[in-house]
Amino acid sequence: MKRRICSVSAVVVSLALVLLVWAGPAAAAEKGPIKIGILGPFTGALAFNAGEMKKGMELALGEVNSKGGLFGRKIELIYADTEAKPDKGVAAIKKLITRDEVLVVGGGYASSVNIATSEVADAEKTPNVVAIAISPTITNRGLKYVFRTSPNSPMFLTGMNKWLEEVKKPKTVAFFMENTDYGRDGEKIWSEVSKKIGAKELAHLYYEIGDTDFTTQISKLKELKPDVTFCIGSTTEQTLIQKQAKELTFVTQWIGVGGHFTEAFFKMSGAMCEFAMGSSLEPTLNLKNPETAAFVKAYEAKNPGARPGIFSSQGYDNVMVIVDAIKRAGEPSGKLQQDRDKIRDALKATDIRLSQGLIKFDQTGQVVTLIPSAVQVQLKDCKPELRIVFPKELATAEYQAPIPWDQRKCK
Amino acid sequence: MESLFLQQALNGIIVGSVYSLIAIGLTMVFGVMRISNFAHGDFSMLGAYAAVFVLGIYPGWLGWVGSILAAAAVVGVIGLLSERVLFRPLLDRWTDIDIIMVSIGLFLLLENLAQLLFGATPRMIQDPFAGASLNLGLFSTSVLRLFCLAFSCIVIALLQLFLSRTRLGVAIRATSQNRFAALLMGVDTAMVYALTFSVGVALAGVGGVLYGTLFAVFPTMGAMPTLKAFAVTIMGGMGSIRGAIFGGFILGIAETLGGNYISMHYKNAIGFIIIILVLLIRPSGLFGRREGA
Repeated sequence: MKRRICSVSAVVVSLALVLLVWAGPAAAAEKGPIKIGILGPFTGALAFNAGEMKKGMELALGEVNSKGGLFGRKIELIYADTEAKPDKGVAAIKKLITRDEVLVVGGGYASSVNIATSEVADAEKTPNVVAIAISPTITNRGLKYVFRTSPNSPMFLTGMNKWLEEVKKPKTVAFFMENTDYGRDGEKIWSEVSKKIGAKELAHLYYEIGDTDFTTQISKLKELKPDVTFCIGSTTEQTLIQKQAKELTFVTQWIGVGGHFTEAFFKMSGAMCEFAMGSSLEPTLNLKNPETAAFVKAYEAKNPGARPGIFSSQGYDNVMVIVDAIKRAGEPSGKLQQDRDKIRDALKATDIRLSQGLIKFDQTGQVVTLIPSAVQVQLKDCKPELRIVFPKELATAEYQAPIPWDQRKCK
Repeated sequence: MESLFLQQALNGIIVGSVYSLIAIGLTMVFGVMRISNFAHGDFSMLGAYAAVFVLGIYPGWLGWVGSILAAAAVVGVIGLLSERVLFRPLLDRWTDIDIIMVSIGLFLLLENLAQLLFGATPRMIQDPFAGASLNLGLFSTSVLRLFCLAFSCIVIALLQLFLSRTRLGVAIRATSQNRFAALLMGVDTAMVYALTFSVGVALAGVGGVLYGTLFAVFPTMGAMPTLKAFAVTIMGGMGSIRGAIFGGFILGIAETLGGNYISMHYKNAIGFIIIILVLLIRPSGLFGRREGA
């Protein structure tokens, strides 16, 4: 009796196994989604900005998938967290490339991380399209699989630097930088500009990501009284710097890269950030461009009450550029290396208008067709808003020089 | 130049007062229970978020005072719970490593839970003085900063009174000096443990409201106070409240003056250099008791 049950169950089990094996290849032949890896510091100090980037990416993903995806297959974004640390970033991109077997890796935020991850992508012969990172190093090392869909720091600052040379002409400048590749690269560029205009460099100060107390540096700056203070950093630190500058009644023309001009920055710093300047590709300032206007409209429809910022726009463009390249490369065959190479070749020929403007890459994989303008925070009913002050043909307002704190009307 | 020195010293004293407030809780918990609580700063973070929510409902002065009480209460209760559920079962096993691992686990849990629940967007606690600043010729600072200084000093003074003048306070000190002797003298040490842990983290919660008002509130904000509180406690002597008070001010002043006159790069390192020096010269800290006493 016992034996009979045994043999019956053996038959059942082997039948099940056969069915499984039989069903296996059929299921594999059923085409799965097209996988794109996305890196980003989704936790840690830069998590907020990475979230903005992700919102833009999700918008792009929704647009593509609602139209049926590519080649009748859905697109899937696989997110991997870098925690804004190069070592974590390297582990994350290795996981995407080898375990998830993604065709291409997009996203990325923070220059120090992307310098490391792009090297891994290149060694693994996987196309890496960097979304947000400003250090020139990423694309100037001759890596054959690396592209970037946002301007690098020299490009990002062309408008601002012209303004400094032709309009502001400061006599004294100071530097107050985030102590990372992002801050240091910007410092180099502005140091050259300062030499060109003959401005005296009074101080080079730094802070670390995650610092909260800047009173030491600001007190020192206040003693030196620079006409212009170059200050590169992210949203949280920049907000705290504005707040503490107010507490210590320090007045200067703050000039940043502009990446910190986010919705959260304006919400937190309010009227305090009046007069601050930066370069910007802010989508909402550039509604004359039809692609930008369409992006802003779609974003606001998907995220009611929210205003799309630069990171959302760059996240959106990043995914769209990748999707466009996959489309032109033809349906993935399943031979991973072949598909990756085809996509890399397709990326080189990118020529597409998106929310930031026209996107075309040069030999190094750097987008060269985006030109940000110089913007200033000005107040309207005590609420901060960004206005383009340079170049003249795009300007929406006149430049306003900063005035002492006790003469400012808005608290 | 003189005014810059005074300005930096004042900046240091103000930051130092907040360091002290947060470090006192850490040192109390260590003194009584021998727990190195690496989640201490995350209780500050919870306090700061409690304040954000209270101020969302009652903005302005009333809300700010209310938020301090709310932070103390909420964090105190969470402290009671975590002492009962996490730490007390481990105390009898008495291996420091177990306890440290649990506290690091708690730190990771709280930080990531906060990120999940409240999101990564940093928030501001509205300054009840509307950002008014004082310019006193030699130096300038905001009314808020001076208030934080005064408030920290008052809380520290009240705590000293509590520890020296009340029965409970004496029981806490007795347990800290010798747990078994206190038990033999009829002190309910289990209650003292719960109370110490709860009061200790509630102080961190209040410190978190000040920290959050001076700076900003975000899920990872607890890491810095934890680090500073450990630095302060080690410098002052683990378990010594007087050590935590002085240690906080010394660290604050050393960081700002060192940052100004030596190098901004080493601002955070300066605190640790001082710790090494203190430990070389006085291994049990500035105000520490010798081990085995």
